[in-house]
Amino acid sequence: MKIGNVNVKVSILAIAVFVIFTFFLLVASVYSPEVRSQLIWLIPGLFMLLIIPMALNYMSRREYAEMEPQYEAVAKTVRIKLINESMIGKPVRIEGVVERVYFQFLNRPQYLVADRSGAISVKMFTSPEEDVKVNDVVEVLGQVIRRYIAAGEPVINCISIKKIKKSKKDQ
Amino acid sequence: MSVDIIKKAKTMNRSLEYAIPLFAFGGALIGIFFWMYNVPVDIRVPIFGCVIASCILAYLAWIRPRKDIVALTTPIYSFIFLGFPIDNFSAVVLEVLYAVSLSILLVRLKYRFGVASAPVLDKKELADPLLKSYVEKTRDVLVLTGAEPAHSAAVVFVRFAEGEFLAAARGAESAIAHLSDASAPRSLQHAFAIVKEQSERLDKSLVQPESFLVFPPEDAGMLAKVPDPKFGKPEEYDTALDNALLVLYAGAWNASETDHPHLLECQPFAQRLLAP
Repeated sequence: MKIGNVNVKVSILAIAVFVIFTFFLLVASVYSPEVRSQLIWLIPGLFMLLIIPMALNYMSRREYAEMEPQYEAVAKTVRIKLINESMIGKPVRIEGVVERVYFQFLNRPQYLVADRSGAISVKMFTSPEEDVKVNDVVEVLGQVIRRYIAAGEPVINCISIKKIKKSKKDQ
Repeated sequence: MSVDIIKKAKTMNRSLEYAIPLFAFGGALIGIFFWMYNVPVDIRVPIFGCVIASCILAYLAWIRPRKDIVALTTPIYSFIFLGFPIDNFSAVVLEVLYAVSLSILLVRLKYRFGVASAPVLDKKELADPLLKSYVEKTRDVLVLTGAEPAHSAAVVFVRFAEGEFLAAARGAESAIAHLSDASAPRSLQHAFAIVKEQSERLDKSLVQPESFLVFPPEDAGMLAKVPDPKFGKPEEYDTALDNALLVLYAGAWNASETDHPHLLECQPFAQRLLAP
């Protein structure tokens, strides 16, 4: 769904929660007159299960879209091997092949992106603008952070991930 | 001496790996014994085996460069397990399942999260044996570097590691101007020139040029890496930078003792550069 310039995506998890609770509500309202009398509150409440994740996704996507030009202006294009602990907090741009994709169903995808020099985890705390799959060649823009805020190896907090070539399968 | 400490650390880590199933299943077996023979002891006593095992697992996860958050949080679960009152049969079943889970997590930790970091031997010493041997190999030549160029080499390396490419390029440029006398090691001069050229391009996010600076053949003995010819020019370009940064690191380490603390902080980056 598109709101303004922002492409809003609801995670499969949020949809699954909505479906499960809809089912519970249907069953409960069939068997219980008390539940039926409360439907005026329960139905909007049920839709909030979809609306709240959508609103959060819209806000985070809009925020990321606003940050993108700022990062675009200051980020340096580097090889993955050059990213190290001393670069924590620095904006960077990398190009590489997506080797793995995790947690896409949560709208918090994590990619393993590799170039000739090495591989690095790319964490995104919102849904990407376009669907990125394994074997896609991408350009990642983001900031170097530690995996667990204060500890762990450097990873990229992704602001934007864009395909610069289609995956080998699609070609 | 340092090799002994590394060996001891490895042996201790291996012993700790064996200790995890030993404590977890040991505790579970004691629990089963207490339950079967109705021994009048609080069933939570054998759970301590699982608590100890999860603390060891968390320690083994902590000392790895890649942290496994699941293994790191297992002590929390074991304390929750310990803190809640539970009937004897459920406690025994839970203990066995928990011991199995800890063993699976240990296997996962070993195969997915790499080996433990080398112990820090001395805060004044290089911990990585590969880096240490490279620095020692280049000592005879680079020890002739004066204190000022060696300090410049350290500054350029640290700036580069921090992603301050423009500052690194400026630092390398000024070092080249000071190093123009014949007494300075030629390889160090070449290293500064390569770092300057590539840092300027990195600062502007420019792609690899058609022609670029590389080390001359007479510097071959000083270089840590040889480019793989099958990858062509891009590999040659990247390896030239890796080698140049490593020559600066070795030069700074061998001739500027005051910069050792900064160089030690950047040691993981030097290790990354040295890795194939």
